[in-house]
Amino acid sequence: MNNTNEMTVRFSGNAQNESFARMVIAAFITGTNPTLEEVSDVKTAVSEAVTNSIIHGYRKKSGQVTVYAKVTGRKIYIEIIDFGDGISDVKKAMEPMFTTGPEEERSGMGFSFMEAFMDKIEVESKVGEGTTVKMWKEIGTAGRQFE
Amino acid sequence: MKRFDYSDGVLIYYLPRELDHYAAEKIKSGSEKIFDENNVEYLIFDFEKTSFMDSSGIGLVTGRYRRVHDKGGKVFVVNVSENIDKILMMSGIYRIIEKKETKEDIIKDMVAGGCYE
Repeated sequence: MNNTNEMTVRFSGNAQNESFARMVIAAFITGTNPTLEEVSDVKTAVSEAVTNSIIHGYRKKSGQVTVYAKVTGRKIYIEIIDFGDGISDVKKAMEPMFTTGPEEERSGMGFSFMEAFMDKIEVESKVGEGTTVKMWKEIGTAGRQFE
Repeated sequence: MKRFDYSDGVLIYYLPRELDHYAAEKIKSGSEKIFDENNVEYLIFDFEKTSFMDSSGIGLVTGRYRRVHDKGGKVFVVNVSENIDKILMMSGIYRIIEKKETKEDIIKDMVAGGCYE
């Protein structure tokens, strides 16, 4: 039996689609039998990445955000892709509390939350071409060391 | 649905079910006038209905905190579920903002603090 499952959704980079992206990913990963907390973790990480694409990638422009996800057994892999402005200094952007918009009341914690809620994240970005955030998480591993 | 309530220096935000960037922007623009026209002494974020929050929610809380704190006001969060508590804790927000169980607990604080003299 092939236990790999994949999906791709693409939507306009509008803020009201942030909740749509969260709903889609939550529904897609139910097969991994996650706890409510694990679902919440993945939703938060996806929400952060999609929000980044909308706020920073496309700013006031229009464009589309793609969410690709793959589930293999209880392993989840997610990509959030935009073709927006890109990030000139990824390392700096990922520093906790770094924000390009303090006056817009942004917390600068987006990447920190993604890192905290997923097992691993990677960011690929090119100025003028866009950004891809890759995230991995294995369901059911929290607390395994105590078993 | 009522998003906030203001009277006599006390502003209460009734936060939505999902507090993300989209919701935070709406809340900010909807309540800007309150801050411009009044001296908010007590600011309360009521999370009773909220089951999801990401870092945009943290941005909203800390941004509003700065405006109120600069003028000597106090900021509280109430009715925080386990889920939301985890996010607030991770953000380090409890270093600057106090958590209370209910709004009644804050009223006690106001009375003790002489707000109703």
